[in-house]
Amino acid sequence: MMSGIMQGREATHVTDEAIAASERNPGEDQIPFRMKILIADDTPTNVKQLEVVAEKLGHQVVVALDGESAVQAFKTTAPDLVFMDIMMPGMDGISAVKIIRGLPAEKWTPIIFYSALDRMQDIVNGLEAGGDDYLAKPASTQLLKAKINSYARQIALQSKVHGFSRELKRWREESEEQTRLGAHVMTRLTDASGLRDQMIRYFNLPAETFSGDLLCAARAPGDVLNVLLADAAGHGLAAALSAMPLTQAFYSMTAKGFPLPSIAEELNRKLKAILPADRFVAATLASIDVRNQTVEVWNGGNPDAFFLSTEGSVAMRWTSRHPPLGILPEKLFSGITETVVFQVPGDLVLSSDGLTEAENRAGEWLGIDGVVDLLANVHDSNERFQYLLNGVDAHLEGQKARDDISCLMVSVPIDRRRQFRFSTPRMINQSQFAEWRLDLSYNANELRYIDVVPAALGLITQVQALKDHQGALFLVLSELFNNALDHGLLGLDSITKSWIGGFEIYLQQRSERLARLSEGRIDLSFLLHQDESRAVLDISVNDSGPGFDFTNQVDDVDALSSTNRQAYGRGIPLVKSLCEQIVYSGTGNKAWCRYVVSDLVLDKLAEDADPKTPDSGMPGDVDLTLF
Amino acid sequence: MQIATEVAAGKAVLNLTGRFDFHSHRDFRSAYETALEEAGVREIAINFKQVDYLDSSALGMLLLLREKSEAAGKSVSLIGLQGMVKQVLEIANFGKLFSIQA
Repeated sequence: MMSGIMQGREATHVTDEAIAASERNPGEDQIPFRMKILIADDTPTNVKQLEVVAEKLGHQVVVALDGESAVQAFKTTAPDLVFMDIMMPGMDGISAVKIIRGLPAEKWTPIIFYSALDRMQDIVNGLEAGGDDYLAKPASTQLLKAKINSYARQIALQSKVHGFSRELKRWREESEEQTRLGAHVMTRLTDASGLRDQMIRYFNLPAETFSGDLLCAARAPGDVLNVLLADAAGHGLAAALSAMPLTQAFYSMTAKGFPLPSIAEELNRKLKAILPADRFVAATLASIDVRNQTVEVWNGGNPDAFFLSTEGSVAMRWTSRHPPLGILPEKLFSGITETVVFQVPGDLVLSSDGLTEAENRAGEWLGIDGVVDLLANVHDSNERFQYLLNGVDAHLEGQKARDDISCLMVSVPIDRRRQFRFSTPRMINQSQFAEWRLDLSYNANELRYIDVVPAALGLITQVQALKDHQGALFLVLSELFNNALDHGLLGLDSITKSWIGGFEIYLQQRSERLARLSEGRIDLSFLLHQDESRAVLDISVNDSGPGFDFTNQVDDVDALSSTNRQAYGRGIPLVKSLCEQIVYSGTGNKAWCRYVVSDLVLDKLAEDADPKTPDSGMPGDVDLTLF
Repeated sequence: MQIATEVAAGKAVLNLTGRFDFHSHRDFRSAYETALEEAGVREIAINFKQVDYLDSSALGMLLLLREKSEAAGKSVSLIGLQGMVKQVLEIANFGKLFSIQA
C-alpha cells in the first residue's frame, strides 16, 4: 500500500459570494462554516465517498492513507474535523487518535471513527482513545451529509466563541497595561510630597486596581496648609483621569497664595472645559491657618467635613453646599467657603462617599455618624486615625468595597508658644544686583475681582533675589494690603473679630461691602535697592480712604504676646517684626516699610568663611513667637 | 431597573423601579429620548419613589438628561425622593440644578 498525504482539490464551485448568499437564504445545503476535513483511510473507495460528500457541501478535504501520516497531516494542516478509519497499515486509527489527543491544542477538533468494526468493544475503545463519535461502515451518503452538517454547526459556534475569547484576552491584556500605566502616573501624582506633612494622616483604598479618589496637600505662603480631597464619578482609570487636571491647578494656585474660593473656581472652570456632561468630581477643599486659628472649607458633593475636638466632640460640620466640580458654568458657580475660628485643638476630617457608604454584609452604611463614633473613641490623632482604619475594615466584614474609600485628617494644634521660622535667604551676588522698581495701581473695579496679593507677589518674586523671601513677603504684603482694603476702603472695624463668632461676621461684611465697592484705589510700590551695604526692599501701600489713628497701633508691640483670642490688631506688629522699619504717614492711609533682603557685606564674608555653615545667625532668620 | 413611562397633559413621568446605576444606562437613555422626541411633552418628571439605590453614574445620566432637555426647550423635575436617594441628591446639591418636588 502506498502511504502519504493527498491534498484534496479545493472545492472551487463554492465561492465566498455563494457562502454569503447561502447565509442570506438558508436552505438544505447551506454551510454554516467552511471546514477543513481530514480523512484518514487506506481504502480509496471510502476516501472517495467522503471526499465527494464533503466537497459537495463546500468543505476542503485533506487525505491521509495511514495512521502515521494522519498524525502528520493533523499537525501541519490543523483540520476542523477528522474522519478516522481504525484498521490501517502501520499505525492504526486508535493509536493515531491517542497521539493526536496528546498534542497541544488551541481548539477542540472532533474526531469521528468511521470503521467497519462495529462491535461494542471497538466503539468503546475508539471513544476512550479520544474519539468523539462513531460511525459504522458503510454509511449512507445522506447520513454522512447530516453528520458533517451537524459538526459544521458546532464548529461554527466554537470558532465564533474562540474568536470572542481571543478578542477578550486581547482587551484584557490591553486594559491591564493601561491600568498599570494609569496606576503609575496616578501614584506619582497623588503621592505628592505635600501629603507627607506632620499634620496630615490619610488613606485611599481603591475599589479596583487604583483609586479615582485624589488627595493633595500643599503649603501656601504664610504657612497656611491647603488640602484637597476629590472623588471623581465612577472608579478606576476613567474616574482617575477626570480628577487628574485638578492637581496642577491646586498646587500652583496654592503656591502663589490664592484664596480658597479662587482655587475652587479655577478647578471648576478647568473640569467644566474638559469633562463630558455626565462626568463630574465631588471635592472638598480646606485651608488650615494655624497662625490665625482658622479653618476654611468648600464642600461640593462630598460627605460632611467636620472638626473633631481632641476631647471627641464635633465642633463644626461643613455640609456640601455646592454641586460637584465640573457641572456648573463659570457664571453660576459659587466658590463661597465657610470659615470658622477654632478655640480648641482637634482634627479636621475630610472623606469621600466611599467611606460613609461602605457597606457591611447586611448592606448597612457606615455613615458619617459611624465615622465620627470611631474617631471619637480615642483622643490621640494617630490612634484615632488607626481606630478609624480598623473600624472600616471591620465594617466591611471581609467584603470588597464597592467604591474607592478615602479619608484625609489634618491635626490642628493650638500652640501658645509656636515658633515660625522663615527660610534663610540665599546669598545674592553683588554683580546680579541692581535697583529694581515696580508700581501697581488698582481701582475699585479691579479690587472687586482681582486677588491682588498673590498677583503682586507673583510679580515681585520673579526677581531672583526675592524668591526665597516669598513666605515673609506674603505676610507683610497681605497685612498691609488687607489693612488698606478692609479698613481704608471698606471701613470695616477689626474689633468685630474679637467677638465669639465675630470673625465670620467680619468676613461676611467684608464680602458684602467689597461687592458694592464702586470707588477708591490702592497703589502698591516696590523698590529693591542697595542701602549702604545691604539689599533692601521698600514697600509702600497707599489707599484713597480716610485713614486711621495709627499712633497707638505701631508701638503696641505687646499685641503679639497678648491674649490668645485677641485676633485683631495683630497685623501691624507682625509686619513690624518682619521688617526693619514701618512708617505710617498722611492720615494713616500711607504705609511704608523696609524689608531687609540680605546683607551684602556679611554675604561676602560668608563666602570667604566656612561654606558649610552659611545660615547660622544670618539676618533673615526670623523667629516669631505668637500668642 | 424597570422604567414605566406615563404621558398625560404635556408631562411625561418616568417611573423608575430598582437600582439606578451604570447598568441602567441604555434603558434610561432610550426612555428619556422617546419622551424628548414627543412634541407634545413639555416637561419630564423622573419618579424615584421605587428606587432603592443610586450611584454616581446615575447622577451623570441625570446631568445628560438635563443638558439634552435644555437643548430641546423642555424642563426636568425630580420627584418622589426618599431615603438614600434623597440623601445622595442632597449631598450633590442637585436641588440647584433640577426642580425637585416631593
